[in-house]
Amino acid sequence: MSDRETVDFLATVPLFEGRAEADLVELARVMRRRTVPEGEILWRQGDHPREMLFIVDGAVSASLDVPGDRTVEIGRVGPRGTVGEIGLLDGDGHTMTVCVTETATVLALGRLDFAALLAGQHPSALGLKRRLASLFTARLRNQLRHLAVSLGGEMAVPPAEDAARTFAELEDCRPPDSKYVRRMATFHDFDPLALWGFLTSGSYVRCPPGRTLVAEGAPSTAYYLTINGAVEKVLVRGDWRIRVGLVGPGRAFGYESLIDGRPSPVTAITRERAVLLVVPSDLFEQLFNGEDAVSRGFLDVIQKDLIASLRETLRPSARLAGSV
Amino acid sequence: MCRILAYLGEPLPVQNLLFDTDNSLVRQSYSPRMMNTFLNLAGFGMKAWDPTSLRPEDPFTYRATTLPSYDRNLRFISSKLAPTCLVAHVRGVTYSSEAVVADTNLHPFHFAGARVVLAHNGHLRRFPEMRYSLVEHVRPELAQRIEGTTDSEWIYALVLSQLDDPYGLPETRELADATANALRILRNVRAAHGIDTSSPVNLCVSTGRAVVATRVSFDYGWYPPEDDMLETDLPFVSLWCAIGGEYTKRNGGWQMTSGNPPRSVIIASEPLTTDFSTWLEVPEYSMVTAELTREGLELETRDLDV
Repeated sequence: MSDRETVDFLATVPLFEGRAEADLVELARVMRRRTVPEGEILWRQGDHPREMLFIVDGAVSASLDVPGDRTVEIGRVGPRGTVGEIGLLDGDGHTMTVCVTETATVLALGRLDFAALLAGQHPSALGLKRRLASLFTARLRNQLRHLAVSLGGEMAVPPAEDAARTFAELEDCRPPDSKYVRRMATFHDFDPLALWGFLTSGSYVRCPPGRTLVAEGAPSTAYYLTINGAVEKVLVRGDWRIRVGLVGPGRAFGYESLIDGRPSPVTAITRERAVLLVVPSDLFEQLFNGEDAVSRGFLDVIQKDLIASLRETLRPSARLAGSV
Repeated sequence: MCRILAYLGEPLPVQNLLFDTDNSLVRQSYSPRMMNTFLNLAGFGMKAWDPTSLRPEDPFTYRATTLPSYDRNLRFISSKLAPTCLVAHVRGVTYSSEAVVADTNLHPFHFAGARVVLAHNGHLRRFPEMRYSLVEHVRPELAQRIEGTTDSEWIYALVLSQLDDPYGLPETRELADATANALRILRNVRAAHGIDTSSPVNLCVSTGRAVVATRVSFDYGWYPPEDDMLETDLPFVSLWCAIGGEYTKRNGGWQMTSGNPPRSVIIASEPLTTDFSTWLEVPEYSMVTAELTREGLELETRDLDV
């Protein structure tokens, strides 16, 4: 594969859509091409991540080791798909074992080169972050769908009206002390001025426990960030209900709909009394698509939250004996 | 803030659980992977039940305020014991001169003659304010036996006080109900004192035949201003379990083999291996009960709404 062919290939990768040709030429220079035979394991779940791979041709399978000596295939990735970026972004181990199912040609991008793509204030870096957010949202939806199918039964009729009523009844409250927010891991890297901009971008509300704020199957009207308390993200099917995430301080919910315009993949219910930052959909759009320091920080926060949510849904957890 | 470990099942060398794995309990005293802002350097304790030992209903006890990684006695003993039930604990305290590192504060707590032991991972914020309101919920003869300064020993006395016979061998269901009742009392006493900040109460309660473990926090997500423990308590305190046939070394790594019906369970603050693909996360706000029966291990996880 010549450099020209590599550039032409990269131009077709959805992650690099709209990227300038000069960027792609630069990128092609740092990528390493290799052919991997069918059956080769590219990495195992938990391995330290060193690179992400772009599949040029052939196919790979991503699978999860689960208790009981079992392996579950989560998905297959073919030409123009990517694997391995989550580990590169958060530095933790690879989420899944990846095995070649059809002899494949891949382009490998190392950790530092990937970090360089995302760094800086160039619009292309922000564009890549947005596309990664869309990619992770799609993966999260896919994973949640797997979990929902494993429960069986039908999705409960979405109590969207309840969620709308709850939203209207929320009690306004004062913003939190920024010193407290800065101690949350989510905001450690946030520029202080940008953090102030972000924290003043929405309104603050108090919510009692047991209130449905977002309903699965209905569109979310806002991005919510938990300041105090906790919110459960749940899937309910028939008599089964599973918690797919607990949104404590510094974690967010309700934004998947705002990223891809589809209905919410989960129901969000306050487990503890909570103080929440509420960013309505129109403001979310401005933050998500903006190019200033606040938007840059916001995109990082969204990315961290999506990765944490993905890891949570991939982590097998004991099912509760009780029904809804 | 502590780390806890419980094992119930086939006889298993204690050394495998305390030392041999790459995230063993002893390693978690100085390098916990899921609580990296806090170390557990204030002592070690364990209770181990071996049905082949003298007076098998009485657990073997080992406690020391020294660091377990340097404790040769612990290492020697661990290589000779293969119990069917173990509760072990490494204690963490705040880095303050007010913290009391003493033998009387080491977990698991076990009043002489009682059949139930308890270890705790967590802390009750503003405990000194509520301590004496607990007296009315604790049987007087048990309150008199509290020797240490910890909130955990009071929780132990509170759980025992909820049993019909604090010195008898409770059924697993009674032990689970007593534990849930004790948590409800704590919630009510906290409310009466206006205490509304995050207080994790991951408990491990055992009789040697059964284990009851909780993963719960009162008022999770609420913290006092300028709180020293904020970074430690922002994530919900973790609890994991591995269920299966036996815990063994395979392909160079330790793992729980599959078993149907299951015969062994490990419940721990963190998986004992860095590869946690054979471990399950215990859901937040839940209780796990495990009991050894002739048919195997009976296990249940239920929502804990306290």
